[in-house]
Amino acid sequence: MSEMDPCDWCEEVLQPYLDRDLNATDVQKVKQHLAACSWCEKRFKFETDLRRLVRQAVEPMEPELKAKLAALRLEL
Amino acid sequence: MSETSSEEARRIARGARDRVQFEEEALALADQVYRVARGVSRSKEEAEDLMQETYARAFRSWESFTPGTNLRAWLLRILTNLNIDRGRRAQRTPDQQPLEEGDYYLYNRLESTSGETDEERIIERLSQDHIAEALAAVPHDFRDVLVLVDIGEFSYAEAAQILDIPIGTVMSRLHRGRRILKQRLAELAVEAK
Repeated sequence: MSEMDPCDWCEEVLQPYLDRDLNATDVQKVKQHLAACSWCEKRFKFETDLRRLVRQAVEPMEPELKAKLAALRLEL
Repeated sequence: MSETSSEEARRIARGARDRVQFEEEALALADQVYRVARGVSRSKEEAEDLMQETYARAFRSWESFTPGTNLRAWLLRILTNLNIDRGRRAQRTPDQQPLEEGDYYLYNRLESTSGETDEERIIERLSQDHIAEALAAVPHDFRDVLVLVDIGEFSYAEAAQILDIPIGTVMSRLHRGRRILKQRLAELAVEAK
């Protein structure tokens, strides 16, 4: 089997890498590649930033709702 | 008789104390639960209704919660079941138009349409409105997983438990959901240019 292009390989393992679902050998391989390849490094950085934006995409709960939830508690 | 009734009184007091503790712990998690509720709902109002139904049900059935297990996952299980019961799922996931683009697609698209090569400038092209709109465009089955893992920060295993689906399904829906999200973001950000 011919060796896969390292940038294509990094693109394939981007998600499991960021999800910490990649084995230690492959994590090492990714890190080595990113240190040497700014093209991939930018794309990994972008994905990390994008995930942060997605986490921030929902506005926090209004305080009034919290009070309403507390009022749902059963009578003692 | 007095011995029995004081024992009974102690048992009731213990039950009340456990219940208050349960309620307080559940309320302390409300902000985190809300993030998921908002992510799976179309509007803030819908998310607030869903939260109230979830907490009303949780408070009623507190005795079925096993202390020491994951309360956040237990609450989210109620929430996602209620959300399904609301008939929100009448719309089935449109099956599987191919998504050929890889994970670098969004970046490549933004870079090639802006002439920018600086990552920080490229990420700035995505606004919170774009993200919210793109998230809303992800079909429900995929969005639920995406919201639990990427917004709720649940593990694959917890998401599988909450949604009552196999872990492999969590992974494949997450993968696909993220691709759909990025494809939609590419459309939105490039259109907005």
